[in-house]
Amino acid sequence: MIEVDRLTKNYGLARALKGISFSVKRGEVVGFLGPNGAGKSTTMKVLTGYLLPTSGRAQIAGHDVVDESLEVRRRIGYLPESTPLYSEMRVDEYLRFCAEIRGVTAVRRVTAIDRAVQLCGLSRVTGKNIVELSKGYKQRVGLAQAIVHEPEVLILDEPTSGLDPNQIVEVRNLIERLGKEHTVILSTHYLQEVEKSCTRVIIVSQGDIVADDTRDHLVASLPAIAVRARIIGPEDDVRSQLAELFVNRKIAIVIGENSVLNCTIEIGEGNAPAEAALAHLVVKNNWSLLELSRERATLEDVFRRLTMQASVEALHA
Amino acid sequence: MREVAVIFRRELKSYFVSPIAYVFGVLFLAVLLLLALILRFVPLDNGAQASLQGFFWLMPVVFLFFLPGLTMRLWAEERKTGTLELLMTFPVKIGHLILGKFCASLIYLAVVLALTLVLPATLSVYGNLDWGPVLGAYLATLLLASAYIATGMFWSSMTRDQIVALLLGLVTLLLLYALGFPMLLEWLAGSLPSWLLDLMNGISPYKYYESITRGVVDTRDIVYFTCFCGFFLHCNALVLQARRAKG
Repeated sequence: MIEVDRLTKNYGLARALKGISFSVKRGEVVGFLGPNGAGKSTTMKVLTGYLLPTSGRAQIAGHDVVDESLEVRRRIGYLPESTPLYSEMRVDEYLRFCAEIRGVTAVRRVTAIDRAVQLCGLSRVTGKNIVELSKGYKQRVGLAQAIVHEPEVLILDEPTSGLDPNQIVEVRNLIERLGKEHTVILSTHYLQEVEKSCTRVIIVSQGDIVADDTRDHLVASLPAIAVRARIIGPEDDVRSQLAELFVNRKIAIVIGENSVLNCTIEIGEGNAPAEAALAHLVVKNNWSLLELSRERATLEDVFRRLTMQASVEALHA
Repeated sequence: MREVAVIFRRELKSYFVSPIAYVFGVLFLAVLLLLALILRFVPLDNGAQASLQGFFWLMPVVFLFFLPGLTMRLWAEERKTGTLELLMTFPVKIGHLILGKFCASLIYLAVVLALTLVLPATLSVYGNLDWGPVLGAYLATLLLASAYIATGMFWSSMTRDQIVALLLGLVTLLLLYALGFPMLLEWLAGSLPSWLLDLMNGISPYKYYESITRGVVDTRDIVYFTCFCGFFLHCNALVLQARRAKG
């Protein structure tokens, strides 16, 4: 659906994109993740035809974004960063305008607008002027505008920025619903957003892609950080035996309620079957094991590790 | 063409939902009619020939100050609020966007201008008005207005600050108009080569406007105004296009 090949974009001397390549298949929901200024918005602006790339190519649905810009623009819905809207218009007027200009035929227009209004939960405000709406509603109008012509590809630049937590949840649910019918690329610096609604994550940093994988793969690729166990047994025994079993590992033991020992063993890099050994130890000593779990790395850890690495490398380069 | 119509409708409507349209319209009419009647650009004395020549002489000067004000927001505002990004990612050619906006401003102005028809109508009731030159003069006025709108719109695309667009438009139009001023040309007649004077006279809208208001609709005048608009509208497209590459 989307093919990007060695795309670069310079703003004067600043190199915003340093030759990124990726592809998105039909029906995927891809999260573009990166710190501010990483090149997320620039990528989207090039894909939507608003900006011309300095070099490289990009195609959407088989059409080149430079040579066949109009064809591409017919197939996309776009929500630019900070959701620009014609605030003097009424919601229904605005959606009508967007549908008309994108060539939704008069016959289909009413149903198309209805569908967008329903999906985005706008039915209560269709008669209101956009300027009177709350930020959350404005964001929904922006989304409705992007889907009113049922585009093949949805490009959403920071769809949840500036919203309060409730509104974020609403918009996120909406994106999840939209992801069932459209191919979606969204950019964000909220990690929970990608964890929840994206099937794939592309992490960009300083104009380069530093990771491109499914969410689960990315998380799995990080070593588990720690094994956590809640044990009932004589504290001194537990402490010494654990130290014996996990040589050179950091072990923390905190005594909780009912003299339960909350043990955290950092297992660091590598994937030794620490749980099995631990369980075995407990059985051998006749202690009680209340809980045994592995603390997994979150996407946040992946993100921080990859983007920090990139900026450290850039510093040394 | 469908896209032009959609842009045109939205733009025209945006004039009428905002107070700008009304403030502009009322001020424009008030200034024009007050100048015409109080400064006696339109003679109302008994026995005088019913003529609107003074009125149409006044028009370019009033336009000079009002039209850049009308057009300053066309692109600058879209750029400032970010809607330009949305507009440019709709499946519409840049030329069609420009044409839609241009036509909307022109039609809006035509509506305001139509209100001034009260003046010739009144004159024709009380006196013997020759409608031929009056209608010719209205045509000249519309042509001049389109040239001014194209210029103002071009400057609006150059900056995101509306006041800057206003001032640049005003200065450009003032200079262009003044270049063809007969008094200036006469004064410079001795000191400048005649080809330069011809050039000045040739690029200034002054003589073309004058000639149509006298009631003579010459193809050359129409061609001049068409080229004038075409030039600035084309520059407008180049600016928008160049900004895509620059970012």
